[in-house]
Amino acid sequence: MRVTLSVNGERHELELAPLARLADVLRDELGLVGTKIGCGEGACGACAVLLDGRSVNACLIYAAAAEGHELETIEGISRAGLTPLQEAFVASDAVQCGFCTSGQIVTATALLRDNPAPDSEQVRRAMSGNICRCGCYVKIERAILTFAGGDA
Amino acid sequence: MPRLVKTVTEMEGRFEEKWVLVEEDGIVSWDPAAELAVVGKPAARQTGPQRVSGIARYTVDVALPGMLHAAVLRSPVAHGRVTALQIDAALAVTGVRAVLGPETELSFKQRSGPLYGEPDYAGAPIAVVAADTLVAAKAGVRALALEIDPLPFVVDIQAAFRDQRIDGDPFEDARGDVDAALAAAEVSVELQVETPGQLQTPIEPHAAVAWWKPDELICWIGTQGIFDARDELTRRFNVPKERVRVIAEYIGGGFGGKQNAGFEALMAVELSKRTGRPVRLVLDRHGEQLDGGARPATHQTVRLGAGRDGLLTAIDAEALVEYGMAGWRAVTTPAMTLYRCANARGMEANVRLDVRRGNAFRAPAVMEGITALEQAMDELAIELEIDPLDLRRRNFTDRDQSADLPYTSNAVLYCYDRVAELAGWADRDQLHVPQDDGLLRGMGCATQIWWGGGGPPSHATCRIGGDGVAVVTIGVQDIGTGSLTTARMVAAEELGLPLDRVLVVGGDTGPNIYGPVAGGSQTTPSVMPAVRGAAAAVKHKLLALAADVFEAAVDDLELADGHFRTKDGGLDQPYTEVTMKLGQASIDGSGMRGPNPDGFRANTFGCQIAQVAVDPGTGEVFVEGIWAVHDIGRVINPLGASSQVEGGILQGMAYGLSEERLFDRTTGVPVNATLDDYKVPTMMDTPPITVEFAPVPDVKLNTVGAKGLGEPPIIPTAAAIANAFRHATGVRPVALPLTPARVLELLA
Repeated sequence: MRVTLSVNGERHELELAPLARLADVLRDELGLVGTKIGCGEGACGACAVLLDGRSVNACLIYAAAAEGHELETIEGISRAGLTPLQEAFVASDAVQCGFCTSGQIVTATALLRDNPAPDSEQVRRAMSGNICRCGCYVKIERAILTFAGGDA
Repeated sequence: MPRLVKTVTEMEGRFEEKWVLVEEDGIVSWDPAAELAVVGKPAARQTGPQRVSGIARYTVDVALPGMLHAAVLRSPVAHGRVTALQIDAALAVTGVRAVLGPETELSFKQRSGPLYGEPDYAGAPIAVVAADTLVAAKAGVRALALEIDPLPFVVDIQAAFRDQRIDGDPFEDARGDVDAALAAAEVSVELQVETPGQLQTPIEPHAAVAWWKPDELICWIGTQGIFDARDELTRRFNVPKERVRVIAEYIGGGFGGKQNAGFEALMAVELSKRTGRPVRLVLDRHGEQLDGGARPATHQTVRLGAGRDGLLTAIDAEALVEYGMAGWRAVTTPAMTLYRCANARGMEANVRLDVRRGNAFRAPAVMEGITALEQAMDELAIELEIDPLDLRRRNFTDRDQSADLPYTSNAVLYCYDRVAELAGWADRDQLHVPQDDGLLRGMGCATQIWWGGGGPPSHATCRIGGDGVAVVTIGVQDIGTGSLTTARMVAAEELGLPLDRVLVVGGDTGPNIYGPVAGGSQTTPSVMPAVRGAAAAVKHKLLALAADVFEAAVDDLELADGHFRTKDGGLDQPYTEVTMKLGQASIDGSGMRGPNPDGFRANTFGCQIAQVAVDPGTGEVFVEGIWAVHDIGRVINPLGASSQVEGGILQGMAYGLSEERLFDRTTGVPVNATLDDYKVPTMMDTPPITVEFAPVPDVKLNTVGAKGLGEPPIIPTAAAIANAFRHATGVRPVALPLTPARVLELLA
């Protein structure tokens, strides 16, 4: 089926299988491989992208269902260079292997756009769907709070 | 001149005497009192910007023109015999290009597998299908229409032990007369402990892309050991070493479970060889949780005998292991080595079950052993009415009790004192004062021991040219531990250049600069001395060039923070005044890890304290704080090191509270092989964590004074939590993890 997607401000007209997952289409059709697939069943958050500004798991959404919505991936977030949030991740060492990091940045970006000054509890709730097996949580929380001028 | 000398090397407690090439570089370990410019100060990761912006390319991201995608058919039963497999039907699916099954004649043979006609664990691979798309490959797997006759299976360790299903020979190590010492002990305790099976669960599953070309085999593998992987492919596919190249630029976590080439690379290479096309094989999450590996569960019994003064007179440790690695016995190693005791015995039996055989998971076996031994020490302290930390101090030893050799360094006494201070240990009984929230609070401690001294061989090169950037090449990949950054710091320190003038490359066997597998906490102590040697060789040459340029005596020149200076201060010029004159020329240096010191054991030590709050109504255990102080010799990057410790603690905490591979006892199939049901920690579960290190460089061990850190932090956390639970509730856990159901049962 024919699907039109708006990704990082660019329009893409694609011929897709009806059940093609958004995560696969971003990675395989559009080459946006910064979006990672960790579980493929909505349990890890590695594939998080912004859909109309909300963080969603791209492995749980059919690409066709994203038509008419604005999508933003880690590549879109990073297009003008590292954002201050990304700089804070680097400076705080909120990254180990980095495989989950795109999803962490996407979810934290959504949180901070909604709530520029979250407290620790709000950060922890918002980020709890993004698994980091290396265990960077202490540093991720610190990076977000540092960026937000919070209590880190 | 290079020489060949004999030295003892160690990897996760396996000692081996072997010939190693050494080249005397005259470098001595940095003076512990010296103020270093870069080393010891926090540094952000060299690849941080790539990792936070989605630019980093992992194995799963490698896409090549004409590439095929592979999918795996796995056993749905714990034990069975394949009776029918429709290979032709799978080949007939549009887009399917190759099918491998148990009957396929592969290019190599393995003792068991890689494809099973009689699978003996759920999730064992039976067939692999390669197709133009992953969708077609999965359709091919379905078309195989597997028919399998279930066979009797055993997943219960006690039943298997009764049937004497033992893998290899049981292992026993003993000194003194343990039975007599136990019988004569003034005080004795006996503790039985069950520890869970734990899954590594890297977020990037096992993955490989292989491209068999007429003149070369290129393989991208998510592996912790690029050279081990290269050598395995060389051997199995009978290709000359120089024609095989393994690349692992970014790896999405390993935690021990990504060793060698692995099933995924072997299958991808075989399929690429047959089809002439590049092939990508990525495990799906279910496959990863079924077949990525595991820390095997254990059933352990520890008996301790001691005098009223708290001095140990007998240690007796037994372990049944749920089908762990072949020939790898170290569950009872802590019992044999950690505390001074004349009479000690360790016995281990690896019980053969119809489960996925265990493999390495961060601090394999030793973590299991510490989890039992340190709870037994806690019981002994309670029995003796001695402070648990004090009991450990009284039994301190600066000699490996098993090998009867001194340690190169051991600052565990410092760790005890400092962690007690940080946690407020002295006031821990105050936690028993009832609170309004009705939670039961307590604090517990546990000691850590692990190897982590590394050894040869390890090599590095350093090259600097007209642009003034020093490029260091090492033979290890950065699995997330920050090893490239550590190397960058060591090179910058030695060269006397700012950090950003050094670039470290690794993760590629192409340059043939050897580095060891990222395992056993050996990367830092093995690779960093080689890096320092390579940088020193380049600095030596730079000083000679500066003498030419500035018409000064070499001996009068220094290079520090990017400036050449004479000792009298008369000359102070940026180093680029020299390097820019190189134009397109460059100068090179190489370095290698020297032999280990004779007559010593090199180990890491540490102590962690946990504070928990237990809800007797719901059975929930809340970790309210973890304090960790470890002795890892010199800390090269305190920022990265604290991240390592925090990550290890979270995995150790989950081993104590939530992670457990669970089998359906009626089918033998794991029931929680998904990320929904296998409970790894989230940010919500993360307690406050305090990390410090003993400020004691290990000058005997190597030229950078550093020991390893990958394993140590995971080791004592679960034991500390279990001891805190005991302090809070008065009840000793019999089995971990302390899930709400287990806790309610314990407190009933």
